[in-house]
Amino acid sequence: MDFDFSPEEQKFADEVEQWLTENHDPVVMDPTRENFTQLADTPERRDFMKKLAKQGWLGMSWPKEYGGQEIEGVYEFILNEALSRHAAPQIGKGVGIIGKTLIRHGSDFLKAEFLPKILSAEVEFAVGYSEPEAGSDAANMQLKADKVDGGWNLNGQKMWTTSAHFADWYWVGARTDPDKPKHDGLSLFLIPMDHAGLEIQSLPTIGKDTTNQVFFTDVFVPDEYLVGKRGQGFQMIAEALDLERFTMFTLSPISERTRVLVDWAKTATRDDKPIRENPDTRRLIANIVTDTAVAKALSTRFVCAAKAGGKPPSIQSSQYKLFTTTLSQRVCDEALDITGAAGTIREGQDEAPIRGRFEGAYRATMNETVGGGSSEIQKNIIARRHLGLPKNF
Amino acid sequence: MDLELSEEQQMIKDMTRALLGEHCPIEVVREMEDDPKGYPAGLWKQMAEAGLVGVLIPESHGGGGLGLLEAALVYEELGRAMAPTPHFVSAVLSAGMLLEAGSEAQQEAWLPKIVAGDAILTPAWLEPDRGFGPEGVALAAKREGDEYLLSGVKRHVNYASSAERLIVLARSDDGVELLLVDPSGDGVELKQIRSQSGEAHYRVELRDVRVPVSARIGAAGSGWETFAKVLQDGLVLQAAQAIGGADRCLENTVEYAKVRKQFDKPLGAFQALAHYMADASTQIEGGRVLVHEAAWNGALGRSTARFAPMAKLFACNTYQDVTRVCAQIWGGVAFTIEYDTQMYFRRAKEMQLSWWDTPYLEELVAADVLDQ
Ligand SMILES: Cc1cc2nc3c(=O)[nH]c(=O)nc-3n(C[C@H](O)[C@H](O)[C@H](O)COP(=O)(O)OP(=O)(O)OC[C@H]3O[C@@H](n4cnc5c(N)ncnc54)[C@H](O)[C@@H]3O)c2cc1C
Ligand SMILES: Cc1cc2nc3c(=O)[nH]c(=O)nc-3n(C[C@H](O)[C@H](O)[C@H](O)COP(=O)(O)OP(=O)(O)OC[C@H]3O[C@@H](n4cnc5c(N)ncnc54)[C@H](O)[C@@H]3O)c2cc1C
Repeated sequence: MDFDFSPEEQKFADEVEQWLTENHDPVVMDPTRENFTQLADTPERRDFMKKLAKQGWLGMSWPKEYGGQEIEGVYEFILNEALSRHAAPQIGKGVGIIGKTLIRHGSDFLKAEFLPKILSAEVEFAVGYSEPEAGSDAANMQLKADKVDGGWNLNGQKMWTTSAHFADWYWVGARTDPDKPKHDGLSLFLIPMDHAGLEIQSLPTIGKDTTNQVFFTDVFVPDEYLVGKRGQGFQMIAEALDLERFTMFTLSPISERTRVLVDWAKTATRDDKPIRENPDTRRLIANIVTDTAVAKALSTRFVCAAKAGGKPPSIQSSQYKLFTTTLSQRVCDEALDITGAAGTIREGQDEAPIRGRFEGAYRATMNETVGGGSSEIQKNIIARRHLGLPKNF
Repeated sequence: MDLELSEEQQMIKDMTRALLGEHCPIEVVREMEDDPKGYPAGLWKQMAEAGLVGVLIPESHGGGGLGLLEAALVYEELGRAMAPTPHFVSAVLSAGMLLEAGSEAQQEAWLPKIVAGDAILTPAWLEPDRGFGPEGVALAAKREGDEYLLSGVKRHVNYASSAERLIVLARSDDGVELLLVDPSGDGVELKQIRSQSGEAHYRVELRDVRVPVSARIGAAGSGWETFAKVLQDGLVLQAAQAIGGADRCLENTVEYAKVRKQFDKPLGAFQALAHYMADASTQIEGGRVLVHEAAWNGALGRSTARFAPMAKLFACNTYQDVTRVCAQIWGGVAFTIEYDTQMYFRRAKEMQLSWWDTPYLEELVAADVLDQ
C-alpha cells in the first residue's frame, strides 16, 4: 500500500506544477471560475490548449501508434487535478470521450481525420446525448437518423449541449433503428457544428455558463461520419462514461474550496470576535475537512482501481461521484451559512465575503448531482453492480 | 499510489478472519454480553498463539513487531466479528504506554506477559461527570515520600476484573500521572456496570490506595502526553473496527434484502432501500480508505495527528449511520433480540461515545486546521 505518488509520478506532478506557475495566465486561469474554466470560449483559452498540446500532455494514455505515450491514466489524473487546482481548463472531451472511443471503434478515416487534430488542440467538441425525453434514460434518445443515399438524414432535438455555441464538431447519438430494442437502435455520428439545418439556442443557467438546446432539420451526415457500427451507439456511450466520469468531476475545486473556507475562517470576525471561536463553526469546519479527506480517499481508490487495469472502475467512479458532488454542494452551503447574510451578496461585488466565491459556487454546483449521471443513477449502479441487488426500476 | 495489500498483509487479514470464524461465532459474542469477565478465554488464547495479541509489540519483547496498518487489518476483522476481547485496552493502550514511557523493568515485567495473553492491563481513565481531555483527570495522587496516595472514582474501565494491573490516570502536583495499580489490592473496589454493548465495564473506586513511586510510568507529570499519544494511534484501530462492523452489518442486510419479499418483490428491488445500501457502501469505502491512509502514515512514522481523529470521527459516524439504516431495512425483526443487527447497532453507538467521542474529535480536527 502506498498513498504517495511514485517517484516518476511525483516528478511529473512537480513538472506540471512548475509549468503551470511559469505559464500563469490570469485570463485563462480565473480562480473564480474554478472547474468551469473549460466552458469559457476565448482565444486565450484556445491558445492555452495548444500550449498544453505542445507539452505533449494531451492524449498521454493513448496508444503510441496514435500519437499517445501509452502511459497510465494516473498521469492524466495528476495533470487534470493540477489544471483544475490552477483554475485552468482541463484536457477535455476530445482526448477522453471522443478520442478514446475513436481509437477503440472508429474507422481508419475517422481516426486520421480527428486524432491528430485532438492531440494538437485544433478541434473543440460538443457532446449531444441528452434530449427532453432522454436524460437519465440516455437509451431513450429519439433524434431520428434515416438512412438515405450515401449517408443519414437527422431530424429532432437535443437538450443540454454544453459548448454547442463555440464547438467545431458535434458528437451526437441518434436513433437509426427504431424497430430494435431501445439500447440496440442507437448510433453515433460526428457533425460539423456549423452544418446547415442545425439551430443552436442558448439556455441560460443559474451557474456561470449557458448551455444549449439544438434543433435538427434535415441534417445530412455522410456514411463516413458514422462512428463504429450502426446500432452500437449506446454501448460506446456507456463505455465512454465509465472511462471518463472522474475526469468530469475533479477533486481539486472541492479541496480548494475547503482550503479557502478554512483560511477565511481563521481570521474573519463577527461582533469583533473571531468566528473560529464559535463552536458551531468549528464543528461544521471539522466535518467539512474530514469529508474532504474522505473524498480524496475515494479518488485515490478510483485512480488505483483504474491503474490496476482490467474492467473500467465503474463502481469506484460512481461512489466517488456520488460522495464528492454532494460534498461539493454542502461545502458551498455551509460556507454561506458561516458567512451569514453577507453570503447573499453576488459574486464579483466588493463587499461579498471571499469575493463571493461561495455565492457563485453555490449556484454553479447545483448541476453536479444531476449532470453526467445523477446521484440516483450512481446509486442504482452501485446497488446493482456492486451489491448485486435486483434491478429496481 | 497503490492500495493493494501485500501478500503478508492479506495473509494476516485472512488468518484473522478464519480464526474469528472458528472461535468467535455470533453465539459466543452473545454469551459474552454482560459477562463479568467479558471475553472468551479460548479465543484469547488462540489469538495470542497466532501472534495477534502482540501484533504491534516489538519482537524484542516477544511481539510480532508489525505496524499500524497490519493492526488496522486485524481490527477490521475484530469489528466484523464484534469480537469481545481486551486487545485494545491491554495490547494497544497499556502496552503502548509502557513502550512509550515505561522503565526497562516495567517493560520486562509486563510486555512479554501481555503478548502471551497471560496478563491483561487496562487504563483507568474516565471519571464520572468529567470529560475526555486532561482536565477530566481529577483523581487525586498525593505524593507522600516514596509513595502516591490515590483517592477517587473511575468509570468505563474495560475488563477491570480480569486485569492484573490498572494504569490509573491520576492528578498530582506535577500534573497527570500514569500509575500501575493492582486491582486486587487494599482500598480498590470494582463494580460491574452494564453498558449498551454489554462489554465488561467497571466502576473502580480507589480509597487511600498506596502505590510506590516506582509504579509510575514515565517522568512525573508526563502522563497525559504519553496517554494521548498512544490513544491517538489507537483511534485508527477503533476506526478500523467501526468500518469492519459497518461492513459486515451491511453485508448481512444486503443478503436479507435479496431474499425477504414484500409486495411480491425482494426488499432490495425497492429503490428507497437500495439507495440506502448504495449510500452505506460508499460511506464505508470512503472510511476504509481513510483509515488505511491514517494507518499507513502511522506505520511510516509520520504524524497521525491529523488523520487519526478524522478517521475515527468519520468511521464511527458511518458505523452509526449504517447500522441505523440496516435496522430500518430489516423492519420489525431488527427490534428483536433474536436478530443480529441490533448487536451491531448498539456497538456502533458505544464506539462513537468511547475513546474520544464525536464532539471531542471534531474539536481536535477543528483545532488542527483553525488554530495553527
Ligand atoms: C449544466 C448542464 C450541462 C449539461 N451538459 C450536457 C452535455 O453537454 N451533453 C449532454 O448530452 N447532456 C448534458 N447535460 C444533461 C445531463 O446529462 C442530464 O441533465 C442528466 O443526465 C439528467 O437528465 P435530466 O435532466 O433529463 O433529468 P431526468 O432524467 O428527468 O431526472 C430527473 C430526476 O429523476 C431522477 N431519476 C431519473 N431516472 C431515475 C431512475 N431510474 N431511478 C431513480 N431516479 C431517477 C434523477 O436522478 C433526477 O433526480 C447537462 C446538464 C446540465 C444541468
Ligand atoms: C415493537 C413492535 C410491535 C408491533 N406490534 C404489532 C401489533 O401489535 N400488531 C401487528 O399486527 N403488528 C405489529 N407490529 C408489526 C409492524 O406493523 C411491522 O413490523 C411493520 O408493518 C413492518 O413490517 P415488517 O416488520 O414485516 O417489515 P417488512 O415489511 O419486511 O419491511 C422491511 C423494510 O422494507 C421496507 N419496505 C417494505 N415494503 C416496501 C415498499 N413497497 N417500498 C419501499 N420499502 C418497502 C420497509 O419500509 C422496511 O424498511 C409490531 C412491530 C414492532 C417492531
